Amino acid sequence: MNYHSLNHICSFRFALRLSAVVGMILLNAGGCNLSGKPDQADLPVSPEQIANFDQLYTTNCAGCHGATGKLGPAPPLNDPLFVAIIPEDELHRVIGDGRAGTLMPAFATVNGGSLTDKQVKLLAEGVKSHWKSEAPLDHSPPAYAITNEPQTIPAVEEHTRRLAIYQRACAGCHGPDGSGSQGNRSGPGAINAPAFLALISNQALRRIIITGRPDLGMPTYAEKRGRTAEYEPISTAEIDDLVALLAQWRSVGSTAVAEQH
Amino acid sequence: MFNLLKQIGRWFDVRLGISDTLMPMMRHPVPREIEGPLGWWYVFGSAAMTLFLIQILTGIGLALVYVPAADKAYESLLYLNYQQPLGWYLRALHYYAGSGMVVLLLVHMTQVFMHGAYKYPRELTWVLGVFLLICTMGMFFSGQILRWDPDAYWGLAVAGSMAGRVPVIGPRIVHLLLGGEIIGGDSLSRFFALHVFVIPGALIAFLAVHLWLVLKCGVSTPPVAGQVVDPNTYDATYHEELKRGVPFLGDAILKDVLFSSLAVIVVVAIAAIVGPKGPTAPPDPTLAGANPRPEWPFLWLFGLLSLSPPSVETFIMLVFPVIVIAILFLVPFISNRGERAPSRRPAAVLFVIVAYTALGALTYEGATAPWSPKMTAWSGDPVPENFVKERSPVELQGAVVFQYKNCRNCHALDGVGGRRGPDLSNVGTRMTANQLIDQVSNGTPGGGNMPAYGKQMSANEMTVLVDFLVSLRPEDQLPAGAAETPIVTAPGAHE
Amino acid sequence: MDVTSQDITATDAPRPGRRTFLRWLSAILATIAAVVLSVPVVGYFFGLRKRSVFWVDLGAVGAFPLNQTRRVNFDNPLRQPWDGVTALTGVYARNEGKNEEGADQFRVLSVNCAHLGCPVSWFPQSGLFMCPCHGGVYYADGERASGPPPRGMFHCEWRIEKGRLQIQAPHYPTLQDTLTASAKRCTDSSVHV
Repeated sequence: MNYHSLNHICSFRFALRLSAVVGMILLNAGGCNLSGKPDQADLPVSPEQIANFDQLYTTNCAGCHGATGKLGPAPPLNDPLFVAIIPEDELHRVIGDGRAGTLMPAFATVNGGSLTDKQVKLLAEGVKSHWKSEAPLDHSPPAYAITNEPQTIPAVEEHTRRLAIYQRACAGCHGPDGSGSQGNRSGPGAINAPAFLALISNQALRRIIITGRPDLGMPTYAEKRGRTAEYEPISTAEIDDLVALLAQWRSVGSTAVAEQH
Repeated sequence: MFNLLKQIGRWFDVRLGISDTLMPMMRHPVPREIEGPLGWWYVFGSAAMTLFLIQILTGIGLALVYVPAADKAYESLLYLNYQQPLGWYLRALHYYAGSGMVVLLLVHMTQVFMHGAYKYPRELTWVLGVFLLICTMGMFFSGQILRWDPDAYWGLAVAGSMAGRVPVIGPRIVHLLLGGEIIGGDSLSRFFALHVFVIPGALIAFLAVHLWLVLKCGVSTPPVAGQVVDPNTYDATYHEELKRGVPFLGDAILKDVLFSSLAVIVVVAIAAIVGPKGPTAPPDPTLAGANPRPEWPFLWLFGLLSLSPPSVETFIMLVFPVIVIAILFLVPFISNRGERAPSRRPAAVLFVIVAYTALGALTYEGATAPWSPKMTAWSGDPVPENFVKERSPVELQGAVVFQYKNCRNCHALDGVGGRRGPDLSNVGTRMTANQLIDQVSNGTPGGGNMPAYGKQMSANEMTVLVDFLVSLRPEDQLPAGAAETPIVTAPGAHE
Repeated sequence: MDVTSQDITATDAPRPGRRTFLRWLSAILATIAAVVLSVPVVGYFFGLRKRSVFWVDLGAVGAFPLNQTRRVNFDNPLRQPWDGVTALTGVYARNEGKNEEGADQFRVLSVNCAHLGCPVSWFPQSGLFMCPCHGGVYYADGERASGPPPRGMFHCEWRIEKGRLQIQAPHYPTLQDTLTASAKRCTDSSVHV
């Protein structure tokens, strides 16, 4: 029995010490920050309240335009030339209403999307401010907007002129008839595929011709990369001509175009 | 002074009769082995009860602030978390002590099962224990509802949909469960009453009977192989055993005290370090991005439901839980005699191993929920850069179609994206263009897991998408169906 | 004499008549007490509230572009005054143009998945509804496309009143208590499910 009571005393001391330690922990919890104390800042923000460009971009745009605004399958937004030429209103409109004739969907709630008008504006402003050129552009680039919607069946001399521009600016990589460098997986590939042309608008074509795909190695309208040494930047009218040529391929196919003339 | 206290104590004792009634109960003899190391097997039930006491204490504390009204409950939870001093800690402790109670109940039940302690004459003690388990699970579910956030709202929705499948009276049960036509204040009040009055009341009543039975039937001796239980002789043998037993309120209780203290310290530490669970967003059912998940004790059921084919789903929802509970109830009636030692009961050991493996695997599946589409993947999960570089314009557009048509919500690329369907990073080595067109157009035949996209995309979209998918293969591998592939195909396995 | 003999039995021996009567009386009274207590209480606990019909305005017909699905959230009139944000309810409305008689045709679908009630999301690009819980998928018309749902989405009762789209306030829909069945029940009150 003595042995028992000794045991009792020992465990009592042990228990006392333990409760002292626990008590200290609890006292501390009242005063300073224990790691378990929740922070109101961690509360989830309701989706329509998000007003942070990075967060909005990551959840809504990164899927197609790439995590950093480039190297996505859709045209890069993290491209100083693109940011320089696209008017903010236009960017706002494209994000909100989508781009007809392309796979760019409408994100504004009025169009069945998930972003408030404020968020669309924030994204447009964000693209403009985040990815603008550090240094001023060394020459004035062509206008973003397409000037005149091309005629599908042009006159012969007009067609010849367009082909000449194409040979000068594009054929080096995309081949004489737009069918790309055949059999080479690393080549830039065909741009005369009907399915490709059907899913891209003239305005989007113009934009790609101007800005190129710097992330994937396609030169801008002005760069000599992949072109002849005497290559001069094409003019805004010549870009429209190229768009017209591609539009013609879209409607009748590039080989048919060649046969027509 | 001491004498005065003693006198006061005696005054009460004469009137209450504590030393005549309660003391003998506390000092009831228990088998001598419990004083030894084998006694450590007997500590889980009391520890679960200790945590239950914490639940009562913290529950009362939370009820002082919590408002069980649909328009105020969330705010009062935020108040507890951020304003009320130590409110966050009480919420955390209530959650983790409750979780600990479930864990300890399971351990306690497993120990009783493995040691055959449920056999004659303790069948009813086991049955009461099953009631206690049901009550505890009920507390967990109703408690999750009181954490009035989207998980609570959609948890009720899922429970309502399941109950709605009961033949004939389903709609009535749904009405009873929700307390009205929609999920709202009536539902919350209902679950508040369940969580605070009905289930705890039942739990305390069952616990009282359970404890009474422990006293009445005594604690079983640790099992010894070869010592079989025979209802005809057991009582006499056990009576002999107790003659050389030790009082419970002595060294025997020390292990309980020590282990319970340890359990308390662990839950206190976890609560202080991890903090309270939720609430997340307000319980607004129109908020986008709802992704309801059940509490962890129910994840296995969530997993089982999601992995079962739709044809047996209603059975698993409505009948399976009844079967599980029935089996638990029937355990002591299936065998209430014979061997108790696990070494002589391989079937029982195997049952426990299989049950826990299944529970563990299903809980893991339930926690990772690979069957749930990732609703934001199409716009938020970037196409991996190596699937963008060196792709033709057509293939790039195919990648955009892949995102645009929400394929990514179910199909991962390079492990990122939904996991409901297969990862398509190498699909070009497995399927030809024609096979892909067939798969995308028709989905899973018979309306399985993949919808038919035939009418959901244009021919051009299909063309570029399939071009992209065919291009998804390692540099050094040929596309599926390429003539050069020297693969030995079994007859009929072509294509 | 009769009185005397009665008195004797009353004082000297048990009085079976009165005792039996008392037993019966207490049994009957206890039964009555149990019934008058339990009938209303059980009725309170298990009774159904009468389902009222409310029409909810979702907006002018012109606000719904042709063949586009739009999410509309509204405050459900089936609410309690203390329901707070939980009373908010969402539906998907789709303008399906005019029928031969020139009347506007709509399709209004509940957000609750027919599988287990989780909220489905609309993806206009693929024209599919997807459920975040178990991956049920539906087409734009609410028909089941794939996954575990045992049926298509729940359709709400709708009408056009003075050029505005209205729907019947939806209760929480389940497989045996859909939103269209309840409409029928309300118009024909003799049918009780």
